[in-house]
Amino acid sequence: MSHLTLKAVRKSYGSVEVIKGIDLAIKAKEFVVFVGPSGCGKSTLLRMIAGLEHISGGDLEIGGKRMNDVDPSKRGIAMVFQSYALYPHMTVRENMGFALRFAGVAKEQIAKQVAEAARILALEPLLDRVPKELSGGQRQRVAIGRAIVRNPQVFLFDEPLSNLDAELRVHMRIEIARLHKELQTTMIYVTHDQVEAMTLADTIVVLRDGLVEQVGKPLELYDNPSNQFVAGFIGSPRMNFMAAKVVEAGSGTVTVALTKQGNVRITLPLTAAPAIGSDVTLGVRPEHFGLAAAGDADLAVNVDVAEHLGATSYLYANTGTGEQLIIEREELRNELGKESLTVSIRAANSYLFDNSGQRLR
Amino acid sequence: MAQARLDRRDQITGWAFIAPALILLGLFMIYPIVWSLWMSFQVGKGMNLSFGGFANIMRLTKDPVFLRALGNTFTFFIVQVPIMIVLALLFAVALNDSTLRFRGLFRTAIFLPCVTSLIAYSTVFKSMFATDGIINEALMAVHLIGAPIGWFSDPFWAKVAIILAITWRWTGYNMIFYLAALQNIDRSIYEAARIDGVPAWARFRYLTIPMLKPVILFTTVISTIGTLQLFDEVYNFTAGNGGPSDSTITLSLYIYNLTFKFMPSFGYSATVSWVIVVVVGILSFLQFLVARDRRRSA
Repeated sequence: MSHLTLKAVRKSYGSVEVIKGIDLAIKAKEFVVFVGPSGCGKSTLLRMIAGLEHISGGDLEIGGKRMNDVDPSKRGIAMVFQSYALYPHMTVRENMGFALRFAGVAKEQIAKQVAEAARILALEPLLDRVPKELSGGQRQRVAIGRAIVRNPQVFLFDEPLSNLDAELRVHMRIEIARLHKELQTTMIYVTHDQVEAMTLADTIVVLRDGLVEQVGKPLELYDNPSNQFVAGFIGSPRMNFMAAKVVEAGSGTVTVALTKQGNVRITLPLTAAPAIGSDVTLGVRPEHFGLAAAGDADLAVNVDVAEHLGATSYLYANTGTGEQLIIEREELRNELGKESLTVSIRAANSYLFDNSGQRLR
Repeated sequence: MAQARLDRRDQITGWAFIAPALILLGLFMIYPIVWSLWMSFQVGKGMNLSFGGFANIMRLTKDPVFLRALGNTFTFFIVQVPIMIVLALLFAVALNDSTLRFRGLFRTAIFLPCVTSLIAYSTVFKSMFATDGIINEALMAVHLIGAPIGWFSDPFWAKVAIILAITWRWTGYNMIFYLAALQNIDRSIYEAARIDGVPAWARFRYLTIPMLKPVILFTTVISTIGTLQLFDEVYNFTAGNGGPSDSTITLSLYIYNLTFKFMPSFGYSATVSWVIVVVVGILSFLQFLVARDRRRSA
């Protein structure tokens, strides 16, 4: 059963449409991440669910009830903000209990709920401090605690880790994953960081320019992107894209020539081949380059920069035609100082996209 | 050694740079202040002064006009400052609402009075509050009053007119401070409260006011000082006599009259001036005491 549903949801500011009709069904207890580049509308969409932005068109349902015009406080949601949004003059305890005072909750009950949230988030020693005496990570935990005490049906997170340093971000990421496991509630999480999306989500919703590009499980999106945008956005370092031309179409296969890689040819399985001569794009993930002659086609590249991270190495290479490739190879730390290199690609690990960026299968 | 010599030279250079300012400050600020303290112990009229010890202070306690002026000043302070602060806060919160149309126009309109000249505005107000002035005409036209109010002949209404005038003049000035402070508050704090179901009045009472506390304290102290020095409006409205029958006389006006209007008693007027200093000091201290962070001191 879907717990939160968006039906053709739109948002415009004057004549500018920022959300252009989004359909989405989120299941109960699901951890959904909205991800996309800045300006794609992901935060706006979250704020519309929260009730902080008016919905210009379409329907929002939570638990089967239409919520478009329901007050934010009555939607059964709680939200955690990027800036933490803590009340600066109140202690941690007061911050977490403040809203409950107006919901008619008895004093002892508030104390109990705050204590429970503090236990879950390990905030007990900090209960009597004010926000300015806390670190960024602690502040974010208080903000999460303030959401927990309301016992919402849906948690909304708006880029909650963006203000934290890298190390703390990893720590809080794990914390949030643990929290989801413990609380078993629906969570909607907005981020521009695809690593956060990949590690936290049950389902990722990739947004661009106010539209959903693809919805799926993290590895589904990684292994099977439905277009070039998703292929490029999910995965770090990003997928390599090479310009190609269709030169031959067999039954169930297509052969393309990589126009900027010395017209190297590679044949891929494809059910509906595009017309011969049409421009396409071949996508290969950095880790899918193999040793010379080990794949279906070989590329000769010049290495510009090599980054050795220990466990793995990234080579930034080109073929002199302006097309840069990122090649990830574990064993290449031994190739230190090499200026040219031959790597292979495999048809099974390659993706083909048409002119408009749609995946060809 | 070279180090020390250089230090001394630096010091001399430094002092030389600030010396002109210091000399002017000393001559026109510190010297008069110290001299006024000395003067406040002098008795006598005109240039015929002699040391009188605490005679002036004794005279204060028996001077009905001084007691009147002190009472009036306190009335203005107690009635006008809270009204103005609350009004300024409400205006600021209203103007901070991004959905309000013509915010720029309203903001300018409310702020504009405090850039007008004191003399110009009090002259205009005086004519507006005249017995046949526009205020009486308007109030009678809407049948709020049957006969014209004697704004400057009735002791009560004279105070009301002055309070209305200074509120008009200074509310926008205080509002700008609140508006600036409000715009520095992270919007998501209010959004979080809204989502959490905190009603609008509680957001104002428990979020806005505590977060504005330092600014409210500042404006209260500034307004207190301003009100205790109230002079121009009363002088202009009442032709300098604080009438009717001293019902609007303020400490500042009394000082002026003692010095320049009556047979000058410089010593006694200096004493009254120091009363203002002491009262401002006490009130500011009390305001800081009330506003201090209880959590920290507890």
